[in-house]
Amino acid sequence: MQSSIAGFIILQRRRFGTAVNSLVSMKLWEFFVTFAFSMAGVAILVGLHFWFFRVMKYLSTVQIIGPLLPWKLTSMAFLMMFSMVAVSGLIAAMTTLYYSFDLKFLFSSPVSIRTLFLDKTVEAALYSSWTLALVMVPFIFALGRVMDCGVFFYIYFLLLLVPYVLLGAAFGVALSMLLMYFFPTSRTRDLVWIMSSLALTFVYVMIRFSQPEKLVRPDTISIVANYLQYLQAPTAPYLPSWWLVGGMQAFRYGRYGEFAMHAGLLLASVAVLYGVLTFFSKWVYMKGFSGAQEGRRRGSASASSVPFERRLVARGWVERMEWTLLWKDRKLFTRDVRYWSQFALIVAIILVYLFSIRQLPVESPDLKSLVSFLNLCVAGFVVASVGLRFTFPAVSLEGKSLWVVRSAPMGVERIMLEKVLLLSLPSVLIGVILVASSNYLLQADYFISVLSVGTIIVCSLVCCIMGIGMGAVFPKFNVENIHQIESSAGGFIYMAMCMGYIAVTMAIESYFVRAHFHQKFWGAQWSSELVIAAVAALLLLNIAATVIPWRMGVNNLKKYEL
Amino acid sequence: MIKIEALSKRFGELAAVDNLNLEIKSGEIFGFLGPNGAGKTTTVKILSGLMYPTSGKAEIDGFDIVLQPEEAKRIMALVPDEPFVYPKLTGSEFMYFIGDLYSVPVGKQEERIPKLLGMFDMDRWKDELLESYSHGMRQKLVLASVLLREPKVVLLDEPMVGLDPKSARLVRDIIRQLAASGVTIFMCTHTLELAEKLCDRIGIMYEGRLRELGTVDELRARAGSGITDSQGNRINLEDIFLTLTEGKEYAAMI
Repeated sequence: MQSSIAGFIILQRRRFGTAVNSLVSMKLWEFFVTFAFSMAGVAILVGLHFWFFRVMKYLSTVQIIGPLLPWKLTSMAFLMMFSMVAVSGLIAAMTTLYYSFDLKFLFSSPVSIRTLFLDKTVEAALYSSWTLALVMVPFIFALGRVMDCGVFFYIYFLLLLVPYVLLGAAFGVALSMLLMYFFPTSRTRDLVWIMSSLALTFVYVMIRFSQPEKLVRPDTISIVANYLQYLQAPTAPYLPSWWLVGGMQAFRYGRYGEFAMHAGLLLASVAVLYGVLTFFSKWVYMKGFSGAQEGRRRGSASASSVPFERRLVARGWVERMEWTLLWKDRKLFTRDVRYWSQFALIVAIILVYLFSIRQLPVESPDLKSLVSFLNLCVAGFVVASVGLRFTFPAVSLEGKSLWVVRSAPMGVERIMLEKVLLLSLPSVLIGVILVASSNYLLQADYFISVLSVGTIIVCSLVCCIMGIGMGAVFPKFNVENIHQIESSAGGFIYMAMCMGYIAVTMAIESYFVRAHFHQKFWGAQWSSELVIAAVAALLLLNIAATVIPWRMGVNNLKKYEL
Repeated sequence: MIKIEALSKRFGELAAVDNLNLEIKSGEIFGFLGPNGAGKTTTVKILSGLMYPTSGKAEIDGFDIVLQPEEAKRIMALVPDEPFVYPKLTGSEFMYFIGDLYSVPVGKQEERIPKLLGMFDMDRWKDELLESYSHGMRQKLVLASVLLREPKVVLLDEPMVGLDPKSARLVRDIIRQLAASGVTIFMCTHTLELAEKLCDRIGIMYEGRLRELGTVDELRARAGSGITDSQGNRINLEDIFLTLTEGKEYAAMI
């Protein structure tokens, strides 16, 4: 039996070795893609920094209460981050602690359960927090610049960020352990997905409906004294977010004793919580892992009922092959709670979106029509994001069962076409709901309404086809969870392509909008040559945006070797 | 029925399959042997259309697997060494799915699926999700789905792995019956006893090349010292295999 520390070091060595080998074995094109991806990420972080800086700079210039506002915003941001890390920690822990590919191998090795638990907990903490922690770095630098902090402020803040996210993830891990201990079957996983989706949905809706923009408009809060009291009070003083932000605030103003107390509380909490979890893991973790091995029984579902796809095929109304695949994907989708539970989030996105449209301070009818057109850009972004979540991973989700359809007598085009059939209707529906409802709320004129609804129908369809095509260009059949597919370089490229396509579409259509308003205000006639040119450009754009990714996907999937 | 001409598959510098030439008749049971990494599974993947060859060609009943993959796949069935199946389908749903995918008439599916599941002792599991099936159960389900389709060629990659003795016996009988009815069987296996008893001809692959080809008796005769070894024992397939693949030397080191 290895000692716990030696075992832990050996386990970390295999992680380190895997990372090094992945880097060393990278092909030149992979290196360039990764480099481009990283540079784009850095550019986004720099952009975020300047945006955070502008917001905080503005807040700090508000008379009397200015210096308090950036700290208040920081408290709120870190409180939100903590809750998000905890929820992500719960989801990541369910995968890494109970359903990782290597668990059976590791559990059969002479490594203590506590060592294994610690290894997998570190992995869960890393997965659940690194993106959020990365986004907070430009925030911290913006705060430091606005509040004129010294170099040690950044160093301590970044150092304390590590135990802070570890603490957040530990709450998620602890909750997953309790769930798996008391409900030790794979149904627990479904329960966790539903709970966490609903929790995220709730947090998202509540944040938006609480109208945080009021923070920068004090006039909207009727009683000024209440506002000041709200600003001066610590945000959730018993939560780690205040230990971090309160501590850093104390450091900034030279109250080092208070800083040490807050930092100490944070570090001690991490040590105690991880110590307690590791101690109990010997009994709790093993029972949960054992339960996770049990297969799920399907229960008394109507196994004998004939699915409607088969009825359609039997009547000869539809193609048998595609509709068989369609039936298969429908079954897999409805039975996998990880996918359908996220519909709650989509409903929340639509609600929040429409709420934000209703809150827009736009008065003039023509301006409303113009906003309706510009709204296409945001609606397109939502459609592309939903595509990134559902359409782009569709090919990869065939997973290790891909051999079944690849060895069947059909081309890869049919497999991809079936996925377009399945996903295009929901994609178009979401786009149309967003745009048509926004047009209604903004009372857009008839021309803009027709143009924007028509555009979003085409854009949703093209984004869907592009998603299947790009998903086949960058397939990932051996992943443990769907997030690894959507957060890959391919996912990023797909999103960039969608946004580029929508931007060019709007740029071309802006001619129609301009001509419409010119006619409305000054009675100017439309130029038929320009209309033909714009329509031709739109046609070309849509053909290229559809055909190129589709052909690339087909070719790549044909060449893909299992 | 299966014709392989100068087939090669390279992964960078490594030749997984190197200039393979082979012809297998209708109704023949062909055993494809070799140590791990010899190129057996790669050959099966190329024959089943899951992988392109680097050069050469393979035909199934006259259909080129690269140029006419759909025609070839329609008459061919694959049982892979790792029978991954959709975890969220039930056993019977998977059977109907395969039936529809290979255009088996609905009436025939209704009639044969319960029988096939019963034959493999799977009927009481038919409404369970496949995620709860063991390796052996998934293997049996894939075999049952192959029988549903009535293919002309069956490619089996380690078909006995994970099967209980009763099922293994059943699979052996099924292979014999299929061959008797004219189905061509191409079987990769490490179970030398199975190959010796079942196969009409055997090919031994080593480091990507086909080192030996013939019936067990032909291989025995070619092994050098007639049909017995130095101790006077009759040479079996294991001895031939180990001699060809340099296994004896390693065995002696242990």
